Amino acid sequence: MSTQTQSPSIALDYVKTIGIVNNGLNGRGFANPYDTAVDGDGRIFVLNRCDPARASAIRVGICSLEEEYLGEFGRGNGAGAGQFVWVVAMALASKDRLFITDEYNHRVTVYETSGDYLSHWGVAGSGDGELSGPAGIAIDSSGDVIVVDQHNARIQKFTEDGKFIAAWGSFGSGEGQFNLPWGVAVDGDDNIYVADWRNDRIQKFSNDGEFLASYGESGYGNGQLQRPTGVAVDSEGFIYVADWGNERVQVLGSDGGFQLLLRGEATISKWAEDYFASNPEEKAERDLSNLKPDLPSHLNTPYHVSSQTEPYFWGPVSVTLDQVGRLYVTETNRHRIQVFQKR
Amino acid sequence: MISNDTSLMAHLLRRAGFGASRDELEEYLEMGYDGAVEALLNPSDPGNMPDDLIRRYHVEQSELRDLAGSAAYWMYRMISTTSPMEEKIALFWHSLFATGYAKLNQARSLLNQVDMFRRSGLENFEDLLLELSKDPAMILWLDNNENHGSAVNENYGRELLELFSMGIGNYTEDDVKECARAFTGWTLGNAEYMSIRAAKDSIWPYGRIAWHFEYRNEDHDDGEKTFLGETGRFNGEDIIAIIVKQESTARFLATRLFEFFAADEVTEGGEKVIHEMMATYFSSGYQIRDMLRTMFHSGYFKSEAARFARVKAPAEMVVGAIRMAGNYQNPALGIEKVSNTMLYMGQGLLQPPSVEGWHEGLEWINSGALLERVNFAAKELSDVKSPGVRSIIDRLEASSGDGVLVPSDLADRCLDLLGPIQVSDETRSVLVDYASRQGDLDLTGHQLGDEAEQRVGNMLRLVAATKEYQLA
Repeated sequence: MSTQTQSPSIALDYVKTIGIVNNGLNGRGFANPYDTAVDGDGRIFVLNRCDPARASAIRVGICSLEEEYLGEFGRGNGAGAGQFVWVVAMALASKDRLFITDEYNHRVTVYETSGDYLSHWGVAGSGDGELSGPAGIAIDSSGDVIVVDQHNARIQKFTEDGKFIAAWGSFGSGEGQFNLPWGVAVDGDDNIYVADWRNDRIQKFSNDGEFLASYGESGYGNGQLQRPTGVAVDSEGFIYVADWGNERVQVLGSDGGFQLLLRGEATISKWAEDYFASNPEEKAERDLSNLKPDLPSHLNTPYHVSSQTEPYFWGPVSVTLDQVGRLYVTETNRHRIQVFQKR
Repeated sequence: MISNDTSLMAHLLRRAGFGASRDELEEYLEMGYDGAVEALLNPSDPGNMPDDLIRRYHVEQSELRDLAGSAAYWMYRMISTTSPMEEKIALFWHSLFATGYAKLNQARSLLNQVDMFRRSGLENFEDLLLELSKDPAMILWLDNNENHGSAVNENYGRELLELFSMGIGNYTEDDVKECARAFTGWTLGNAEYMSIRAAKDSIWPYGRIAWHFEYRNEDHDDGEKTFLGETGRFNGEDIIAIIVKQESTARFLATRLFEFFAADEVTEGGEKVIHEMMATYFSSGYQIRDMLRTMFHSGYFKSEAARFARVKAPAEMVVGAIRMAGNYQNPALGIEKVSNTMLYMGQGLLQPPSVEGWHEGLEWINSGALLERVNFAAKELSDVKSPGVRSIIDRLEASSGDGVLVPSDLADRCLDLLGPIQVSDETRSVLVDYASRQGDLDLTGHQLGDEAEQRVGNMLRLVAATKEYQLA
């Protein structure tokens, strides 16, 4: 289900939900996922941020659309080679490599999708090429790596082995300025879109950092944003925004005009079915319950509604597109991915 | 020489807040005592760490699936608020209307209850009891979801009278039964499913689902009831309206407020204040804020007898030390370890030991807890890199004139800036002896972490280890 404008030029159909909470240190399921990437073979890579109790198992899990759990990799919590503390986002590059940001270690770590650790680059600081809380990451058509340098309020461009190319931006709310920016995406023309998190907007730049446009403003209405975390752009130029503070996803046209919004409509995943098969008494009561309840006014903020309404997005932190028009919405607080298909 | 105004204001801020840095103390002194009482009793924008920042960096505090992250979330609130009374009154009710995670496995709903305490904890007691009776965490905690028109469960009805309002000895067993009947049908949405999930500690498949109140008219016993001598087809609201009229309720509430905010022990002087608070309770129409105003303005509260007459609860100790040191002003790794430390001191937030809450006063202190308390405060206050400690060093330098402090001045000024804290002659003598070992302290041109600064850190560490620092 989606709320649409009167004549939207895009439609998205709900496909399925993948996931289940993983309370342990490995195995199928997700632990506070923060980002998803999908390769050309349809393999789905899920970046598990993990809470402090499970920090030793910060990892990338791999599964298929059919919810076959294919494996996982990571080297645990810390600052050693291949280790992580606060992972934020990842990007798939050529040669089956995954670039992963760590906002605590102030660096980008590179793994092969096979799970082999390759390298890391980046040092803490504010000079050219130095990082402070790297968040979103994307690869452009040249193979250059775009990194959101969160606490330095700028975007930096690197070669794939971490050599500094360019930087732009400063702290503020004007054009080309940022306030704790998070996600980033590159469109088919190599333009760069940044989720300017605390300015409640998406900013668009040319590949060399020229400001082109700003979309969205603070608010709860259509086209308005609250702390956007993730952004993606499809081949037709539609802009998908993880409107995190509003616990929803919005789709904008290439001109930034509102097209439609998704609130979430999660269903029982295959892994969840397995759980309920072993716990029929819980399933029986669940089937008698209203999982979309009316709530008292003091609990009617998007966050509270989502905390009580299991099918809705709760912590929709990233939006990812695959090569066949599917949209994957990663939900941190629900440990799952809702999948939609563009018509 | 520390003025009585300064000592009195510091006393007020230890009780209505978590103590105060010298900067905060000076802001309140500018308001005067009466103005400060009003500012504390009428919380405005608390200016605490914003939820969006907390959620961004702490996934565990966004989801609130587990206890540790949930307690840490409240810690941030207490550490960063500029309206400390809002948190103190929430702590008071959290101990009195004690509701614990262990049975519920639902921290979001527990924190919603704490939000309710912030929102209503200084208002009308009748309204507060009504909100409490509709609070889904309380409902499941005391089994009111099992209280049906066809099969009464007395648990909530009993505790409402015994632990939350009148106190034992002021009602009969028949009153308990009739009270429980009136609350039949007061439950939470999807009660059966949520009850199973709570009992199994189920997080499956997609994490916790928070709770909300639901009234089921078909499950309510609408028959005639006789409660405390009054008869009617009472529902829960009617029962609460009768409870709040009782003198025993006024005494219960006044006494518990007094013991939390004024003194661990009720002396003859304290008893007089409690009577004044009871009078205010009735004259104001059950307003909690007005009762506290009466208490804060009483001669007893302002007197020396009330100073340092309470043992700091672990939350007061830990939050007070962190606020004084100026730490954790932004989301940071390790905050959940701080809330765990409080647990080792005997007060785990969101996990009171039973429905009776914590046993306070001297019961906070045993050898293990004392060691934890001293170690924690000493570590926080001796780190010269902490912004609050740096501020203390700067004030010491400024107050010395030529940058040089004789040993007795160093001890006295540290006691002043951490409170003022009143200590015994014996304690002061130990502090001065310690300072004397290295002679006068020259802070001229001090640099971060140099020997002079470390001497200040060591003195602050020693003050934090005194018996007097453990008292509020």
